[in-house]
Amino acid sequence: MIIKALTSHYRRHPLQLLALALMIMVATMLWTGVSELTGQARASLAVSEEAVAARQAVVRVDGKPVTVADFVTLRRAGICVAPWLETTGGEQARRVIGIDPLAMACFDASPGGGAADDPMGELDGRPFVDISEVAGQPEPQKQLSLLLSPGSGSLPEGYQSRTFQPGPATAELADSFLLNLDALSVLVLFITGLLVRSVYHLGLAQRRSSFALLHRFGITRARIHRLLAIELMALTLICVIPGAWLGQALANRLGQGFGQALDSLFDLSLYAGSDSAVPWQAALVMIALVLGVCLIDWLIPQRQVAGDNSSAVAVFAGWFWVLMLAGGLAMVFWAMSLLWVFVGVALVFVGSGGLVPAVLARCADAMAARQGQSPEAPMGRWRYRELAVMFRSLALPVVALQFAMATVLAVQALVTTFEDTFEQWLAQRLSAELYLEVPEDANAQAGARALAQMDGIGDWHRVQRGKAKVLQTVAGSGAVAADLMALSPLTPLVTDWALMDSVDSPWAALSDGGVMVNEQLSRRQGVAPGQRLQFEVAGETLEATVIGVYADYGRPAAELLLHGDSLPESFTPGFESFSINPGDYTADEIARRLRAEWRVADLTIRDNASIQALASQVFQQTFVLTRAISVLTLVLASLSLLVMGWVFFASRFWYFQLLGLWGVPSKAVCGQIRRLALLLTLGVTVVALPLGIWLTWVLVSRINPLAFGWSLPMAVYPGFWLELGALMVTIGLVIAWLIGRQLAGQKSLRPGASLAGGGER
Amino acid sequence: MSIARFLTILLACAMLAACSESPRNQGFAGLAASVDNDSAHQFLQPGPGDALTFPEDFGAHPQHRIEWWYLTANLQTADGQPLGLQWTQFRQALKPRPMDNPPPAPASWPLEAAWMAHAAVSFAGQHQFAERLARGDVGHAGVQAAPLQVWLDDWLLAESAADGVWHLKVEAENWGYDLQLGNTDRRIAHGDNGFSAKSFDGQGSMYFSLVDLDISGTVTVNGQSHEVKGRGWFDREWSSQLLKTGQQGWDWFALHLDDGHKLMAFRLREQERDFLSGSWIAADGSVTDLGPDQIELSGKDWRDSENGRVPGSFRLRIPQLDVDIGVSAPAGQYWNAGLYPYWESPVTVEGSHSGVGYMELTGYSE
Repeated sequence: MIIKALTSHYRRHPLQLLALALMIMVATMLWTGVSELTGQARASLAVSEEAVAARQAVVRVDGKPVTVADFVTLRRAGICVAPWLETTGGEQARRVIGIDPLAMACFDASPGGGAADDPMGELDGRPFVDISEVAGQPEPQKQLSLLLSPGSGSLPEGYQSRTFQPGPATAELADSFLLNLDALSVLVLFITGLLVRSVYHLGLAQRRSSFALLHRFGITRARIHRLLAIELMALTLICVIPGAWLGQALANRLGQGFGQALDSLFDLSLYAGSDSAVPWQAALVMIALVLGVCLIDWLIPQRQVAGDNSSAVAVFAGWFWVLMLAGGLAMVFWAMSLLWVFVGVALVFVGSGGLVPAVLARCADAMAARQGQSPEAPMGRWRYRELAVMFRSLALPVVALQFAMATVLAVQALVTTFEDTFEQWLAQRLSAELYLEVPEDANAQAGARALAQMDGIGDWHRVQRGKAKVLQTVAGSGAVAADLMALSPLTPLVTDWALMDSVDSPWAALSDGGVMVNEQLSRRQGVAPGQRLQFEVAGETLEATVIGVYADYGRPAAELLLHGDSLPESFTPGFESFSINPGDYTADEIARRLRAEWRVADLTIRDNASIQALASQVFQQTFVLTRAISVLTLVLASLSLLVMGWVFFASRFWYFQLLGLWGVPSKAVCGQIRRLALLLTLGVTVVALPLGIWLTWVLVSRINPLAFGWSLPMAVYPGFWLELGALMVTIGLVIAWLIGRQLAGQKSLRPGASLAGGGER
Repeated sequence: MSIARFLTILLACAMLAACSESPRNQGFAGLAASVDNDSAHQFLQPGPGDALTFPEDFGAHPQHRIEWWYLTANLQTADGQPLGLQWTQFRQALKPRPMDNPPPAPASWPLEAAWMAHAAVSFAGQHQFAERLARGDVGHAGVQAAPLQVWLDDWLLAESAADGVWHLKVEAENWGYDLQLGNTDRRIAHGDNGFSAKSFDGQGSMYFSLVDLDISGTVTVNGQSHEVKGRGWFDREWSSQLLKTGQQGWDWFALHLDDGHKLMAFRLREQERDFLSGSWIAADGSVTDLGPDQIELSGKDWRDSENGRVPGSFRLRIPQLDVDIGVSAPAGQYWNAGLYPYWESPVTVEGSHSGVGYMELTGYSE
C-alpha cells in the first residue's frame, strides 16, 4: 500500500519516469561505449605497434624481386611465409593489399603445430582483399613481399630477412585521441550526475505533498527514505542493463571501421565486435553514480540559515564564486603542468556554476524592473520575475546544462579544428607525388646525383632521419634526446611548409647552417627563433641558430631539422627516403633509373596520395567516435532540459492558471508561457557560449600542448552555435506546447498541496 | 574415410573469404550439399558402374569436390612399445576443373582449391597432432600420380621411382616421423568395384585402400627418436556429394587381424536408421562386401574430455563370418584438436579374432 502510494507519482506522470529512465540509459550507454572502446583500443594498439615493429620479410640475396616460386621454395623448406601483394589503382588511387589467409594460418602456430585458432577476418578491400583479386587486377605495378613469421627457422641459402614496414605509424595519433576520449567521458559522467540529480530532485519536489501526507499517516521519514532508495535502485538497475548492452553495441558499431583494417593486417582483434557479456564494471560505475548523486543529501546534515543573514550569505557566496572563477582562470593561464590546468578548469566550472544562476536571476529581475509603464509592462514584469524564479529554482539543472552545452561546443570545435589542421599539415608533408625508401646498403647520395641529372624531373628532396641530442637549451635544462631530420635540396616541396614562427627568409637561413625545431621541442624547452642551440649529432657537438619552429602533429618527440649539407661527415642516417614529383618522367622510369644506380631489383615507390588517404581514413574513424560522444552528450542534455523544463513548468501550472483568472486570455497565457520557455532555454544557451569558447581555447592552446606537445589554432564555428540555438528553441517550443495543451484541457483551478507550504509567487 | 576430413576441409573453405558466399544448408558438414553447378563445368559425382584406373586414381580429381590420401599405422618401437600414427592430406575443390584442362598459373594466386594436411602420433598415452593449410595450384601443396607424390609445405609422401617404396616425412613442433612404406602394390577396391555407398539413398564415393603396408622408420617425440616397424593402411577416396542430410557422424575402423584377415567397417549415425558397410578382406586379397544388415556395432566405455564424449570401445559383430570382437582404444585421449575436433586412435582387437588397427570417431565433439 505504502509502495503504491509512494509510486503513485509516476503513475500520474509516467513520462517523467520514462524520461529519467531514458537519461540513465543514455548516460550508461555513453559511459559503457567509451570505456569499452578506449579499453579495447589501447590494448589492441599496444599489441599492434609491437606487431608492426616485429614484422620481417624475406628477400633474395641477389636483390631480385621475390616471386611465387620463392614462396613455394620457402614453404616447401618448412619456412612459414605468407604473401603480401600490394598495388595502387582505382579511381581514388588507393592502396590495395592482397593476402592469403590460408598461408597466414601458420603464423602464431600453436605448440602442437596446428593452424591459427581463429579464422581470418573479412577481407573487404579496405584495404585488404584475397590475393587472387589483386593478382587479377590490371594495374601493372604490383609489389610482392613475403612476410616471415617470428620464430621461423633459418632461411635457405639465397634468402635473408629484413624489416618490413607496411605503412605509416598512425597509432600515436589514435592514442592521443584515446586520452582525450577518456577525459571527455569523465566530464560527461560528471555532467550526467548533475542532470540526473536535477531531474530526480525536481520530481521529489513535486512529490513533497505525497510525502507530507504519508508522514501524517504515521510513516516515518526514515522509512520513506529507505523506500525511495529502493525505488531508485530498482529504476537504476532496470535502466543500466539495457544501457550497458546498448553501449556495447555502440562500441561495436563505431569501433569496427577503425579496427578492421589493422585487424586484417596483423591478425589482432582491434575493436573486435566482442561477444563478451555486458561490461559490468561500467554498469557498476553508473549505479554508484546515480545513487550517489541522488541520495547524498541524506548523508549531509541540514543547516538552517537565519533569515536576516541571508543577504550577507548571498554576497559572501557571490564573492566566493568570483574568486574561485578568477583563481581558476589564472591557474589555467599560467599553470605549467596538465594536472594544474585540469584543476583550474574544474575551478572555473564550479565558479561559473555558482555564479551563473544568480547572475541570470539578477538579469531577469533587472529586465523586469526596466519594463516601464506601457500596457504590456505588467505582463513583461511578470514574465521576467517568473524567469528569475526559474533560474533560482532550477540552478543546478541550468548549471549542468551549461556545462553540457559548453562541452559539446568545445569538443565539436576541437575535432573540426584538428581535422582541418591535420589534413592541411599532412598535405604539406606529403606534397610530393611519389615517395620511396632508400634500400639498405644503397648509396643515397648516388641516388640524389642520379635524380639531379634527370632533366625534366619535378621537385624532389632527400630526407635523412636519425637521432640527436639537444645538449643545453636557454632554459638551462639537461640534455634532451631528439629525432633528427635533414632535407636537401630545399625545393618548394619544403619551402612551402607553413612555419609557426621563424626569422626572415628561414629556408635560406637553413641552407646557411641554421636549425629548425618542432613545436614539441620549442614548447618544452623554451626554444625560440633567434636563440643559439647546442646539440650533438653522431658524436660531434654542433651549435646553430634556431631559425624556425614548425608544426609536427601527433608525435610527442622533439625533433631538429637541418639542411642535409649541415650534417657532419660521421653521421649515418637510420633511415633515408626521397620525395619526388616525377615531372616529365613516369614512376617506372624513375624507379628503373634508381634501381640501375643502386644495383637492386627490388625498389618500392609509393604514391603519397594513397598514404595520405590511409592516414586520413584512420583519423576519420577516430573522429567519428568523438563526434558520436558529443552528439550523445547533447541528446542527454536536451532530454534533461526538456524534462526539467516541463516538470518545472508543470509545477507552476497553478500560477499560470491564475493568469487566466486575472483576465488574461488563454491564447495570451500560452504566448507568455512560450516566451518564458524560450527565454529559459536560450538563456542557458547564451551562458554556455562563453564557457564553450573558453573551453575550446583551453583544449587547443593549453591541454593539447601540455599533454602532447603541440597546439592547434583557435577557431570558433558560429554554425555550431546556431545549430545548438535552434535545438534549444525547439525544446523551448515543445515545453510551451506541452504546458499549453495541459492548460487548454484544464477547466478548474487545482492547486497542489505545495501551495499550502508556500513557495515563490 | 571419415567425417572429420570433410569437416576440416569445409572449414578451410570458410576461412577463405572468397568462398564465404551466403551460407546455405548443405547438410551434415556440407557433405550432403548438392554439387555446385555455378561454374562453367560441373562437379562429377561417382556412382555404381564407375571404375578405378591406375595410376591415375592416385592423383588428384579436380572435377570432384572432395578427396583425400589417408594413412594410419600400427607400429612398434624397438623395445616393443606400441605406437600409432596418422597422416592425411585433403583436397577441397572450390571450382570444378576437367582433368584435361590445364591448371591456372601459380602467379595468379588462384583460388580454385584448398589443401589441408593432418598428422598425429599416439605414443605412451600421449597424442600429438598438427594441421597445415594451403592454397591449391600455387605449388606448395599438390599431388602427382606417378610416381606418387603428395605434399603440403615440407610434409611429403613420395614414391621412389627405383623400387616403388614410399617415403613419408612429417615435421611438426617437437615431433615428427620419417618412414618407408613397402608393399604398396596390393590395392583393395571397396563396395561395387570401388564405388562405396554411404546411405540407403545411394550417395557415396570412390574408395580403395592399400591394406597391408610394411612400414619402418623413425618417429621422434619430445626430442627422443624411436626406430619403429609395423603395419599400415592407406585409404584413397573421392566424391562430390557423399552423404545425405541428417547424418551426424560416423565410426570407422581399419583392422589388421592376426589370422591374416583385414576388416574395414564404418557406421554412419543418423536418427532414423544407421548405415553400416564394410569390407572383409582375406589374406589372399579376396574381398567380401558387407552390407548394413550384416554388421552390428555398439559403443561403450564412454570417455569425456573438453572436446566431447566418445565411446572408447566397441563391440563389432559380423554373424555370418563368426566375427565377434571388441575394439578398444588405449587409455587416454586421442582427439585431433584441429579446427573441427575428431577422435583418431590406434586400437587393439580381442574376442573371436585378435589384432590391431585404427578407429576414427566423428560427430561427437561439443
